[in-house]
Amino acid sequence: MDPLYMANSLFRRRRFEDCVQVCTEILEANPYDQAAWFLKLRSLTEQTYVDEVDMDEEGIAEAFLDDTAIADVARPGTSLKGPPGTTSRGLSQGIRPVSQSGRPLSGFVRPGTQGGRPGTMEQALRTARTAMTARPVTSASGRHVRLGTASMLTEPGGPFVDVSKLNMSKYSQRPALAKALFEYLFHHENNVRAALDLAALATEACQFGDWWWKIQLGKCYYRLGMYRDAESQFKSSLKHFSTIDMFLYLGKVYVKLDQPLSALDYYKRGLEKFPNNTSLLIAIARIHEGLNDLDSAVEYYRQVLKYDSTCVEAIACIGTHHFYNDQPEIALRFYRRLLQVGVYNAELFTNLGLCCFYAQQYDMAISCLLRGLQLSPNDDNTADVWYNIGHITLAVGSVSLAYQCFKLALTSNNSHAEAYNNLGVIEWRRGRGEQAMTCFQSSASISPHLYQPHYNLAAASEKTGNLHSSYSCVKKSLEVFPEHLDSAELMKQLQQHFAAL
Amino acid sequence: MSDIADTGREGEPDRSGERKSSSSGSSGVPKMAEGRIVRGTRPHDIAVHERKNWLIHLHYIRKDFETCKVLIGEMLQETEGMCEYAIYVLGLIKRQEGEISDSLELFQRAVTLNPNSSAAVKQVARSLFLLGRHKSALEAYNEALSLSPQEWEILHNMGVCCIYLKDYDQAVERLSEAVSLSPQSQSYVQLGRVHLLRGDLHKATEVYKTAVDHNPDSPELLTTLGLLYMELGETKKAFEALGSALTFDPSNARAILAAGAMIQDHGDYDVALSKYRVAAAVSPESPQLWNNIGMCLYGKGKHVAAISCLKRATYLAPFEWKILYNLGLVHLSLHHFASAYHFLRAAVGLYPQSGQLFMLLAVALAHWRMTMRIPCKVIRTALTP
Repeated sequence: MDPLYMANSLFRRRRFEDCVQVCTEILEANPYDQAAWFLKLRSLTEQTYVDEVDMDEEGIAEAFLDDTAIADVARPGTSLKGPPGTTSRGLSQGIRPVSQSGRPLSGFVRPGTQGGRPGTMEQALRTARTAMTARPVTSASGRHVRLGTASMLTEPGGPFVDVSKLNMSKYSQRPALAKALFEYLFHHENNVRAALDLAALATEACQFGDWWWKIQLGKCYYRLGMYRDAESQFKSSLKHFSTIDMFLYLGKVYVKLDQPLSALDYYKRGLEKFPNNTSLLIAIARIHEGLNDLDSAVEYYRQVLKYDSTCVEAIACIGTHHFYNDQPEIALRFYRRLLQVGVYNAELFTNLGLCCFYAQQYDMAISCLLRGLQLSPNDDNTADVWYNIGHITLAVGSVSLAYQCFKLALTSNNSHAEAYNNLGVIEWRRGRGEQAMTCFQSSASISPHLYQPHYNLAAASEKTGNLHSSYSCVKKSLEVFPEHLDSAELMKQLQQHFAAL
Repeated sequence: MSDIADTGREGEPDRSGERKSSSSGSSGVPKMAEGRIVRGTRPHDIAVHERKNWLIHLHYIRKDFETCKVLIGEMLQETEGMCEYAIYVLGLIKRQEGEISDSLELFQRAVTLNPNSSAAVKQVARSLFLLGRHKSALEAYNEALSLSPQEWEILHNMGVCCIYLKDYDQAVERLSEAVSLSPQSQSYVQLGRVHLLRGDLHKATEVYKTAVDHNPDSPELLTTLGLLYMELGETKKAFEALGSALTFDPSNARAILAAGAMIQDHGDYDVALSKYRVAAAVSPESPQLWNNIGMCLYGKGKHVAAISCLKRATYLAPFEWKILYNLGLVHLSLHHFASAYHFLRAAVGLYPQSGQLFMLLAVALAHWRMTMRIPCKVIRTALTP
């Protein structure tokens, strides 16, 4: 069989490694065989191809040294940064717990949106529930660099294309080859600057008339952190032609620039061209969630489910929403659907267990939680499961069992702030004030984004008469959750003490 | 407030005559000219240390703390820390900013400068009190009392310290003295608290009644009085007190809750629900409120909504056995005996002292078609106290 035909067939069957091997053999025989060279380029690229549209990880460096955002103090509802505690619509913190950034807990953990943008370096480094940080130091150290090194390994005889010796202007004249080469440079070599050179030359060669090159230019600018340039490239390519990707890219740029409303605007324009596209709908829902507007987010997730009934993210988010809205039975249906879709992990079983419990199906609840414990892959997860079991035992009325559960949660994960807090409450009920205070204190120091330990500490100090520390604690509690009535009342009382002569 | 005003006025020219001789030598004083018309006598004859007291006072009472601090800094530098009033005000500012230990130090300095100032001694005592050192605070108040006897404030604070030290007899004595000197509502509140801590409801009610006589327009006092009457079972008086509390502050969550509960007791569920709607806007996270709403709905026969509300209440307050009791009751009336059993058992786990709980538990078990032996056993446990 003709080896080139063979390679082509392998490529079509997505057996890229074999294809590369065949191509290498052809090229050894004839180094100037352009077809083989092209095919090898393509199959190497396909091996490391990543959809750039996906949400990418936001590292500490990007989040903290962020000079692209326009306003430091944005108007309410126009920024994803949102100061913690501003739950504008939806449920209050008293009902729905918050993540580290003071945002209501989401049903689906995804990069970028989960942490929010930290106000201080300390906040950026610290993560709830863990001693380590959940953020990568910078996103460049994530998948991009790893891909770059992977290319070196696969090439025993040196790199396939020597980037430094490439004659960019020559390749830019040949559109088909240039596109393949660009993708190779961008995805496989991860050499964004060379890719940018090539794209710039190529777009010049076709008199700025090719929308594809403009998108690629935008992608390069985005990767280099030049968001304004990326924005203009995407916009200008949108004039020639519109694809779903373009709207998604533009939205991504605006999220980086902390302009969620513009992102929403573009997503909605995208929806006009491509009605009911699930990627656009999900993107809109994510932004609404980032803006703490949970009701509209759920609305969009529902639309997603209409067109794609297996979308895990949408199912999980709607399930969580129902759970915290006192509808555990409906939440249970969504989580069961997740199980059907094929998700099988500790988190899901814990959620199922909790839903069963609050829907009063006690027998199922216990077995689900047990399964959750079995499946939990690491200590952090085990701690969470034990913590939830503790809640259930509390609701069943056996306080001492709950005490044990929270202790177990702490043995698995020594920095589980919620467990510390609850342990403190139980200790306080048992009349052991000292231990309770210690628990509250450690909880408050581990995760300062929770209002409960601060308030508990304040209330306990007030009871023992140490009004000074009570004042400082209640102040923190109000910072985190300004609408908390009990904190506000305690504050009022203390202020009377302080202002009195 | 009167103390500050006095000290503040010291800078004005009526006292300046006395110190004329001492300060006439200094020539670089006429900084004051901006605020005053210089006529005949030059302003430099005012005592140096107290020259700007009026200005500090003016800024302080306007809560212009930043300017005040700058001014005080200048003053302290000029007088080498001898200006008593500046130190005193700085202490007050520090306290309002929440730095109690700093303010304590400052007040102590003020006391060393002028050991006869009862105001400064009082502030030292107050700082100690805020720091939770009640014994030392009590000593300091004793000292202040020897400087200015017959001051209700000192007596009141002594009483509060005694409460924290759990010396209730002493506290009652001190607070009664304070009340007899000046009928202040806060003293009454503390006095009532002591009686409540001792479990003496009648006396506490008496105290609150006199307090309300003196302050007939305080919603807080009226609400507490109403609640006490409720506790004593005097519904009519309670309703009166709560009603007048609500006329003064229609959005007082506590009063609304209490009034709603009473209306609910009379079976007027719709009115009670409309009351609760107002309260829910103010405090959406109050478990008591959700419990009452749930029971209201139960009374109206809306069982599912009732259960949902009660569940939210127990979500917010997992240690409240009464909510669980109510949940058990609602489930019993729905003939969901297994669920009722679980809720009642949880309530028993939290509060095993209630006979009624065991009764309901037994009822649930009996209906659950179990052998009659278990319910009997449960009832027997209920009967043995």
